[in-house]
Amino acid sequence: MRSNWFPTLVERSENGPYMKESDYDLALARKVVELVRKHGLRFDPQVIVPSDDELADRLYQAGLELFVELGVYNQSTERRILFTRQEVEEAVACAPGAVVLGAGRQACVMRHREVESRQPCIVHSGPTGTPCSERYHPLILLSCAREPLVDCLGAGSVSTFQGRPVIPGSPLELLASRQAAVDARQALRLAGRPGMHINDVAVPLTCAGKLAAIDPEDGLRPTDALLVAQLPELKTNYDQLSRAAFLQSIGMHVVDLMTPLVGGMGGGAEGTAVVTVASHVLGVICYDSAYHDMGHMSLRWSHNTDRLGLWIYACVGQALARNTPLVTTNAIYTRNGLGTPAVLWEVAASAIACTVSGVHQMGVGATGGSQTDHTSGLEARFNAEVAHASLPLSREQANRLVLECLQRYEANLEQPDPGRPFSQIYDLDSVEPGQEWLDCYRRVREELIGLGLDMDGGWRAARRMLSQFTA
Amino acid sequence: MSSVPASIPPDLYSRFEQALRAGEADSAESLARQMLDIGIDPNTLVQGALVPILTEVGQQFQDFHIYLPELMMAGDAASRVTALLEQLTLQAGQAPLARGTVVIGQVEGDIHDIGRSIVRTLLASHAFRVVDLGHDVPASAFLEAAQKERADIVGLSALMTTTLPAQRRTLRLFEEVGQRQRYKIIIGGGAASQSWADEIHADGYAADAAAAVELCKQLIA
Repeated sequence: MRSNWFPTLVERSENGPYMKESDYDLALARKVVELVRKHGLRFDPQVIVPSDDELADRLYQAGLELFVELGVYNQSTERRILFTRQEVEEAVACAPGAVVLGAGRQACVMRHREVESRQPCIVHSGPTGTPCSERYHPLILLSCAREPLVDCLGAGSVSTFQGRPVIPGSPLELLASRQAAVDARQALRLAGRPGMHINDVAVPLTCAGKLAAIDPEDGLRPTDALLVAQLPELKTNYDQLSRAAFLQSIGMHVVDLMTPLVGGMGGGAEGTAVVTVASHVLGVICYDSAYHDMGHMSLRWSHNTDRLGLWIYACVGQALARNTPLVTTNAIYTRNGLGTPAVLWEVAASAIACTVSGVHQMGVGATGGSQTDHTSGLEARFNAEVAHASLPLSREQANRLVLECLQRYEANLEQPDPGRPFSQIYDLDSVEPGQEWLDCYRRVREELIGLGLDMDGGWRAARRMLSQFTA
Repeated sequence: MSSVPASIPPDLYSRFEQALRAGEADSAESLARQMLDIGIDPNTLVQGALVPILTEVGQQFQDFHIYLPELMMAGDAASRVTALLEQLTLQAGQAPLARGTVVIGQVEGDIHDIGRSIVRTLLASHAFRVVDLGHDVPASAFLEAAQKERADIVGLSALMTTTLPAQRRTLRLFEEVGQRQRYKIIIGGGAASQSWADEIHADGYAADAAAAVELCKQLIA
């Protein structure tokens, strides 16, 4: 057992077995097919939220086997970093089961959640997966930070600095990264929540750019976090490992960002679920993560709210909840744009499936993160309300509700409603949602109440419970 | 099964199709040799069998009826057959079978691979010669490769909005050294769009791999 794996990781990266990257991809694809068959994993499009504990346990074993068999591919050395099963099992068992996020009055504890747990989800918001314009970025952050049910904020991504494109590796990347961190801190101050946890600054692509966001005075602090990314599937490199090593050395939270591709080298839902479990293990052992950001997405449309994506959330969430102490969130990527009923139905389906499956909330990347300024505080409020209202549900009840939600947006996944950006649906002076967006939110909310979800009482009960869990 | 050209025995065609779909490169190569042995013209083999079969495989992938591993394996098997046919055509002193040469890569700063791999597979299966420069490719490397490989088309991919400026920078380098008119330069990737292509004066934009194939066909025609 060890607490700092980095010397070992570098040693094994330098001396592990050499493999061409394309051969590693192929070996992964073949192993996944074998494991899906061996462990009898089967996706049923009518059972998006399975109530099958054995399925969850078999999935976990398959993911573990994949990780131990293949190891992690280090692109920098073109070698595999291998671990024994005992090393993996011990590292997972030692992983944090609860983390304190943020500081002062806004500090919250994000704990491992069990299947059908009544323990409320921690709700992350902000434009983490969606690009923002320089002009509206501070307002978008403020709209999220001032939502009372939002617990943590992501600083998001802006692609210009003083009107000029941010070029990775240039001084502008560092300055833009610092600016985004300052904007996030300022939004929290304006919202009266200066200690709230900031989960990432997504502007920079390089290690130097990422670390430039750290500034205890005006930017990110050790009580905040930065995402450290995996490359699909089960790959890392020295740049990412260096970020994790630095963050560990200053006692700052690492968020393990994974984006297994549904339809990618893992194949369909079952195989991608296996890869996603293994990706969590990578985050534990290579990044020493505080918590994990489960961001699998469809290779076709960069979202995860179709049946396959939701099933993966439910199954992987349950597998981890039952077999590990890990703390994991979803990363909701929708097809539809901001300001539409469809985007809210996508959020609802994901929030329900994840809440009963032991997963926290991180939303919302509307339009799959492809359109600028498609983030606002209102869908974060909605995400939180649905998650909290789902706490009393059994998995079976959740499945019925998710199928209801799917009925309301599945048909338009191919031709999604593009919606409208923040500037067209919010009042830019008061930073409050405009009437049209509010009406849309209220209509979907009412419909969910009609389907049996306690949208009014749910969050009240959750806040009471959260204070007990935090205390 | 795709429609079979009259000169190819249906049984042979069917086994060839099966081998390609299963990604069995050895078997696909051996069946291709059998077809050549009975006098089937290499061009007929490519245009009448390889391209339609791989087009169908590509469509199934687009529709999510099959997934990336199946597509890649079929693509690899097809590449083996294409390499064989190219070699034989060259030996016979005939005109090359390839529609043209496409140099592709992820622009500087962009480290993503999968989308570009799909484009490479589909282009190769449509009888393009593809030179894949990989990820994080500096502008000068695109220029060098285009010249060295006598490219017809250069494809610049950018998945992240922060790597879009590198597409512009690469195009500008071709202009600065007076090479812009020698190549068709196209862009793609999750962060790119038609309006961005218009803004930086690219010769085309493709939203996905299938669109990239169609665009390359149009530009070569």
